Amino acid sequence: MPEQRKTFHQELDEIRDDIVRLGALVGEVIPRGTEVLLTNDMGGAQAVIEADDELDDLSLRIEEHCYHVLALQQPMASDLRSIVTGLWLTGELERSGDLMVNVAKGTRRIYGVSLDPKLRGLIERMSEEASRLMKLALDAYAERNASLGVAIDDIDDTLDTLHGDYIEAIFESHATHDIGLQASVQLALIGRYYERIGDHAVNIGQRVQYMVTGWLPEQTGAARLVARRSLAAEIGAENSVPEAESGQ
Amino acid sequence: MNPVVWSALIAALVAVALATVVARFFWNRAQRNQVYESTMRLGFEISSERELVRFDDLLAIVERSVRDLRSDTLQSESAQFRLQSALNALPVAVMVFDGEGAVIESNAASQPFLEARHGDALVGAAVNDLIRVANSGSEASTAIDLFGPPKRTVLVTTVPLPEDGQPGAVAFVEDITERRQLEAIRTDLVANISHELKTPVGAIGLLAETLQGEENRDIVDRLAHRINAEAMRIAQIIEDLIELSRIESVDGAGSAIVELAEVASDAVERFRTAAVRAQVSVQLVVLSADTRIVGERRQLLSAVGNLIDNAIKYSDSGTVVDVTVEAVGNDIVVKVADHGIGIPTRDIDRIFERFYRVDQARSRQTGGTGLGLAIVRHAAVNHDADIDVESRLGEGSTFTLRFPSSNGVTDSAETEVPTLNKRT
Repeated sequence: MPEQRKTFHQELDEIRDDIVRLGALVGEVIPRGTEVLLTNDMGGAQAVIEADDELDDLSLRIEEHCYHVLALQQPMASDLRSIVTGLWLTGELERSGDLMVNVAKGTRRIYGVSLDPKLRGLIERMSEEASRLMKLALDAYAERNASLGVAIDDIDDTLDTLHGDYIEAIFESHATHDIGLQASVQLALIGRYYERIGDHAVNIGQRVQYMVTGWLPEQTGAARLVARRSLAAEIGAENSVPEAESGQ
Repeated sequence: MNPVVWSALIAALVAVALATVVARFFWNRAQRNQVYESTMRLGFEISSERELVRFDDLLAIVERSVRDLRSDTLQSESAQFRLQSALNALPVAVMVFDGEGAVIESNAASQPFLEARHGDALVGAAVNDLIRVANSGSEASTAIDLFGPPKRTVLVTTVPLPEDGQPGAVAFVEDITERRQLEAIRTDLVANISHELKTPVGAIGLLAETLQGEENRDIVDRLAHRINAEAMRIAQIIEDLIELSRIESVDGAGSAIVELAEVASDAVERFRTAAVRAQVSVQLVVLSADTRIVGERRQLLSAVGNLIDNAIKYSDSGTVVDVTVEAVGNDIVVKVADHGIGIPTRDIDRIFERFYRVDQARSRQTGGTGLGLAIVRHAAVNHDADIDVESRLGEGSTFTLRFPSSNGVTDSAETEVPTLNKRT
């Protein structure tokens, strides 16, 4: 029996290491995709798109591993939460990788458009901010640091502000006819991809909080709904009281 | 008493005594055998059985042996410690794995890859993959590009260890970013030099060709004007090359006391016209009274001047270039900050190379020689100064030169002079 517990924990460790690796792949592809975008590197764009296969492969393997452990070991309590969190994180990370593939594809669509330094600077900063958030989220996961996990939501504000500035800069560039409408729309979408990566990092942070404490932010909303329903039920009951009395 | 009884008694006594002696002899012998055997079993070296007469002898031998053993252990421990310290001092990560792929030994530089996260996790994974190859008997190596930040390239090599019963392999992880960079500098330099020199020469050739047989006075004027401009450009490059090689050939920076605030104000004055033409205003702020350093005025003027020249060139019209001179602690700091186009992060490490251009297409527009920052860096090196760049695309760049102030030197000069006087 103790032998079996040991292998179970080994499996949990393996899952954790694999997720850290998946996170590292995502952390690498963010600056890499940005460099491709800023240097108009078509070969690099293709390489980023192909590199995503490795990410997909690893995330599939992690997912299967999680199902395997769930089915065979039937973990409880915090072990169960670790596995479920692993499943969630895999999805979030895989999606973040896909967003960088979208950036690479967007790079191909705007080929030949020269970006003014201000736009380039903002893209660089959004990329740095997105990869910083991703790293913090992964740190929170690896260290099981719930408070860091929750804080990522607030840290993400910087990226949101940058995204706003970036959209402004696109408008300016378009107004001065530096870039056409199509390129503007592509650039706006690219900005949106970075902003989404930040959101995925926030989600990861919240899931880490769930893993450690068993609590999710959505539960506040759910609790409100329950309170509202029971209040409505009470009012409904009060209203129906006279009827019941009259019935007697 | 009866003599018979007496003699019988004596005989009995003698018999007992004899028996005792004989018994003792055999007992001793048996014991000695036993002691000998156990000493042999323990592996101690004894010349002969004779050496062991008593149990105490064995004790002495055991004691001696334990003492030897302990000093051996201490020696091997200190040898082990020395070896481990030597491994830890290596900048290369070294990890020894057993046949199963588990780490047995590792040095300090390998810690980031064992407790891996982020980019290091990928290196760790590559190490594990290559160790599997090495454990099957062949060497393996791969270079991994990490986008960081900071961007770096690491080389992972695994080698199978000679087998003495247990299979195993060793892995090395080496940061080869700098090596790669130096290779790039070497290969790019030739290409960049030929670009910078051949372009104006080619232009002059073409312009002269067009000029031949041209009758129209206006066109002749325009072509001649452009030939002149290209010739000036070559002259400027040659001048900068001479200045650079002059600064490079000087070892150190001379020993004159130079007032940096004054150098900065001269440099600003020198580029006043260029600034007016570019509609950029250059503002000099001196925040400290004493800005003296030890050095050579000409080099310093060249360094600060080049920074101001660049700041003006890469600024948008209507913006401000701030030049600040101040004493911070024991340093005199000169800052040149512009609000221009900025430098892409990936180029920041390379802008001090000779002829390196962030944007080749812009070089003719701005008219620089591609040597300015190389001159700045060499002047800084000659003055033991640190140089630092902060830049953001679209927001501007700040170049900071940090010179050691002249305080220490003037003090020591003052204290040294009297002693010299005494001696003479």
